[in-house]
Amino acid sequence: MTDVAVEVASLSKWFGTFLALDDVSLRVPRGCSTVLCGPSGSGKSTLLRCLNGLETWQEGEVRIAGTRVRSRPGDLVALRRRVGMVFQSFHLFPHLDVLANVSLPPRINLRLPRAEAEDRAHRLLAEVGMAELARMFPAQLSGGQKQRVAIARALAMEPQVLLFDEPTSALDPESVGEVLDVMTQLAEHGRTMVVVTHEMGFARRVCHEVVFLSDGRIVECAPADRFFSDPASDRARTFLGQVCR
Amino acid sequence: MKTHVPDVGRGHRLVRGLGSRRSASSLLAWAVALVAAGITLPDIVGWALVDATWVAEDRAGCDPAGACWAFVVNRLPQFAFGFYPPEERWRAAVALAWPLVSLAIALGPGFRRRAAVVAAALAFYPPVAGLLLLGGLLGLPRVPTSQWGGMTMTVFVGTVAFVAAFPIGLGLALARRSSLPALRLLGTGFIEIWRGLPLIAVLFIAVVMVPLALPPGTELPRLVLALVGITLYTSSYLAEVFRGGLQSLGAGQGEAASALGFTYWSAQRYVVVPQALMAVVPGILNTVVALFKDTTYVLVVGLFDFLSIVSAAVADPRWLGLATEGYVFVGLVYWAFCFLLSRVSARIERDIGRGRERGRSA
Repeated sequence: MTDVAVEVASLSKWFGTFLALDDVSLRVPRGCSTVLCGPSGSGKSTLLRCLNGLETWQEGEVRIAGTRVRSRPGDLVALRRRVGMVFQSFHLFPHLDVLANVSLPPRINLRLPRAEAEDRAHRLLAEVGMAELARMFPAQLSGGQKQRVAIARALAMEPQVLLFDEPTSALDPESVGEVLDVMTQLAEHGRTMVVVTHEMGFARRVCHEVVFLSDGRIVECAPADRFFSDPASDRARTFLGQVCR
Repeated sequence: MKTHVPDVGRGHRLVRGLGSRRSASSLLAWAVALVAAGITLPDIVGWALVDATWVAEDRAGCDPAGACWAFVVNRLPQFAFGFYPPEERWRAAVALAWPLVSLAIALGPGFRRRAAVVAAALAFYPPVAGLLLLGGLLGLPRVPTSQWGGMTMTVFVGTVAFVAAFPIGLGLALARRSSLPALRLLGTGFIEIWRGLPLIAVLFIAVVMVPLALPPGTELPRLVLALVGITLYTSSYLAEVFRGGLQSLGAGQGEAASALGFTYWSAQRYVVVPQALMAVVPGILNTVVALFKDTTYVLVVGLFDFLSIVSAAVADPRWLGLATEGYVFVGLVYWAFCFLLSRVSARIERDIGRGRERGRSA
């Protein structure tokens, strides 16, 4: 087993003629949490979505735990069972209750017996502080509660890497904290996480590495404390000045 | 539960309402409706009920002032079962009652897994009811399809076409939204061709032209050919209803399912299709009502459905001149059936709403 959880080599992606990712290379060691940040339109969400094959690209390659991400449907399904993702707008399954949202993926995709899948779901819901609300439907939950269920749902597949795509951007200010608390807990337990976020406080406190993108390029890649105390590039300095006011 | 509205409040509302323009137009509408009812109802009730004859041997035994329902009563078994041999009618009765009982279960008091029970009852209907009507096994005498008819034929054709068209329509809708260009083209082409043909043309093609394309010597009953035609025709309409439901979902649900490692088919089965179907229940039932009425077209290929068997009976010399009674009866039966379907639709919609409600209070 390799110690590199995610490896991106010379990745380039065009939307039509627009170059969205320009020769991006990146390594995320196992057990590390990495933040992707940068101004909007810098390609950070696109890069994240390449990591589990939700986006295709033209050049370069992505490896998750040593296995190359290919576009063959069967390979993608196998890959996505090892890479969890949390979306900005939750995308919970509205026709299922909370318990079914979390237990369905392992039941169907890992062929776990129902009882076992539900035990796992109850355990994970307790972990994100949603044990009491297992029988609610997504429409009855607040944004923060929905996102915590979505995190539990992603964890239910026991992924090796967790991807977060602006997990707090669609939340009321008062629910941001509860979601960040859960994420902090995950990072402290040594989960490998790649997080696209504008929550620089969270990035500084919790994450190991910061990758700063601008115009589809990686401008700076540094340990979190150094990035925030002493950014090397002007663009990162300007960005931090705007975000951390 | 309805709560009792105190009289004071109602009076108050009426007084307040009288002043508004809306109430003036509503009063006018009521007045027009009452006058219209006053003019037409006495004659209708007099003809249909007061002066009507219910028991008679033939036309001469009927009071000419009123409706001759004796004709309908006399011919009721034939209207229900067509020319099915009288001693085997219980089989036709089962085939006729089965879908109606399924609908009654859907409308009746709820119980665990009711939806699954109703769905299974409908799914097993085509093969089981088909074999039961046809016979030739388990000691049941064979009854050729040419002797099937009446309400049994109408209900059989409608139910079988719906049950068969449902999965085909779902497949077509998914094909039309597929990311594979060839599949998309096939789905779209199929839907547009079948939807663009009048049903009568479809039936003629099925009954007249399809046998020419079959290998010589194979002979399929006209009923089977007509069923295939109606099924494919209905499936193209259902496909467009389903597509509406699929499109109402947005990309997020499919993406979330993919990201969790669902295969395409399990994502459709557990995540996408259930939500899409719930979103289009009224559209599905609307198509079923249209299908049920369209089954009357099978008469153009010589099948004796409910409408054509009544038409045939009207020409009977013993009961000549009773077309009004015959067609009023036909109209009432069709209307009652379609009304039943619309109640089922309303019930399903309410149950879906209540499912969310129940979750809310938990």
